[in-house]
Amino acid sequence: MKKFKKITQDTEFWVFIIIVILSLIIQVRSGQFFTNNNIVDIIRSMIYPALGAICALLAFVSTGPDVSFPMIGACSSFLAIAITKSTGFNGPWIFVYLIAIIFGAIMGAVNGFIIVKYKFPSLIVTLGTSSIISGLLFGAFEAERTELPANLQAFGSAALFSVKNVKTGLGSSMPYTFIILIVVYLVAYIVLNYTMIGRGVYAIGGDEISADRAGFNVNAIRFGVFVINGCVAAIAGLSYATMTLHYLPAEYSGGEMVVIAAIVLGGAKLTGGVGTLRGCLLGTLLLSMVTNSLILVGISINWQKVFIGGIIIVGTVIPMVQKHFASKNSGIHQNGGNA
Amino acid sequence: MTKVRKLHIDDKVEKLIFIFVVLFAVMALTKGNQILKPTVFQTIARQVSEIGLMALGCSICMISGGIDLSGAYIANLAGISAALVMQKTSGNIFAGMLCGILIGAICGAFNGVLVAHLRIPAMLATLGSYQIFQGIAIVISDGKTVQGNKILAKFAMGKVLGIPIPFIIFAVVALGAIFLMGKTSFGRRVYFVGTNEKCSIFSGIRTKQVLLFTYTISGVLCGIAGNLSLARINSAKADFGSSYIMQCILISVLGGINPNGGFGAVPGVIIAAFILQMLSSYLNTFPDISNYYRDLIWGLALILVLIANYYSDKRKMRK
Repeated sequence: MKKFKKITQDTEFWVFIIIVILSLIIQVRSGQFFTNNNIVDIIRSMIYPALGAICALLAFVSTGPDVSFPMIGACSSFLAIAITKSTGFNGPWIFVYLIAIIFGAIMGAVNGFIIVKYKFPSLIVTLGTSSIISGLLFGAFEAERTELPANLQAFGSAALFSVKNVKTGLGSSMPYTFIILIVVYLVAYIVLNYTMIGRGVYAIGGDEISADRAGFNVNAIRFGVFVINGCVAAIAGLSYATMTLHYLPAEYSGGEMVVIAAIVLGGAKLTGGVGTLRGCLLGTLLLSMVTNSLILVGISINWQKVFIGGIIIVGTVIPMVQKHFASKNSGIHQNGGNA
Repeated sequence: MTKVRKLHIDDKVEKLIFIFVVLFAVMALTKGNQILKPTVFQTIARQVSEIGLMALGCSICMISGGIDLSGAYIANLAGISAALVMQKTSGNIFAGMLCGILIGAICGAFNGVLVAHLRIPAMLATLGSYQIFQGIAIVISDGKTVQGNKILAKFAMGKVLGIPIPFIIFAVVALGAIFLMGKTSFGRRVYFVGTNEKCSIFSGIRTKQVLLFTYTISGVLCGIAGNLSLARINSAKADFGSSYIMQCILISVLGGINPNGGFGAVPGVIIAAFILQMLSSYLNTFPDISNYYRDLIWGLALILVLIANYYSDKRKMRK
């Protein structure tokens, strides 16, 4: 019983319940939700935001919001694709990813350096750097819609497996980038849960001074988080390009807010130190379902933003109200949780 | 109390005026024949009005210790609803503008309730609410561009003594904001709440009320900005001006507002808005510089100004 009570206090639990209810509603209204092609479609559309969600989560847990990952992804994947094409390199696709990761790490390091050295709010710094990167990408590099190099093209169009809906005749296929998603999540899970560095990421977000006293190198961990964020952003950006089979630079900007919304739904706290990968995936799944499936229920696409905004607000209000009731008996329950 | 704040005002504002003068001199010397024309000044004045109002709203929220990321979308929603009301009432521009400002106030109050009463961190609250505002704007406009009103557009093109009317509106509102934040007890409370919320609760300040008003004022300012932009471009669209969010934060920080709350002066924000708009007009005189470089320059300016402020504050602390 006690365990059950503990579970119901988790934000993740409520997100899971909402997902179940929503999927049942969609299933009842359209009969199209629990079909193999719809599920593959939803997972497919989750891959890019779920990779972005790791960036957002790491930044949230350790420091604060990071809004630069879409532009880092766009710019590093552009550079990787441009370099691959200009050298005519046609080796394994993984090398293209490696080039992108190197550029992503450099851009992440710039973020990390400014945030660690000057202790500025990460939201404002990353807004600034993402504006700079966007200026570089569109102004200096003159990025525009380009074809992928042959090796990425082949990687993107290959399917891990394909399903076909017998009733409707609609098919869809799972791209190989799904494996990248799983690998990145597994590595992140192991590092965050079973290593000292992972503990440190949570510790410095929870209480910087205590973490410092406990012997964590706060600055190094924070800097490392932003470098890793740059790398994951690069992987996400390039995966997005391989899945759409074209490099579309204009598609990247603006994605950060939905991803941040997803991890907040998944229980990450703006004040730092709290947030899990499981919550991250659940939040992304919920928002992907909303964006993908509103049409199945017969709601106009125009309402999509209203729903997403509403879910973010309800998702953030519930934990606040829970906290409010939990601390009602303990005198003053105001705690300055201002951003 | 006033003494403490005066110190901040003088210091940062002086520096900004200096930057403004230097920038102006550089512009006049290098591109004098293209810049020193009344039409250019009128264009700058017209454009600075909208972004300046939104930045003022964002700054007031930042002073209170929060942030308002939804400003540009409140302005859009206000502009669209004003345009729709004008269409429905067959050209009653006053009803339309009133509706726009009212919508701004409602949106701002919604943010205020989320931040003050439901205690959601301001960044998340406005992140969520901006999706809602944009969503509602898409729904009521059906995702299409909404036409403005001819009389309103004419009104906005009008000038008094060579000064564009939108700029006069901006000037009046800005003076009001300077007065409100600098001279009234409300303004002082906003600074207090931004510096230390817990402390201000124990000092008997009704922080919830103060925050609610702060966000409502921000909403009203954005509502006015929405009306002005509807008048200037004679149309409104739901996804118009999303880059304004970044610019509002840039102007606030450039104007010396501390993003952690509690510090900064409103006059600085207004000068910063002018600096940014002048810089943008100056860049326009170089045809071979792509528009995209503006993002680069603004991002760089934001970070460099933050770093410069960091060192100047440090020097002051050492004294």
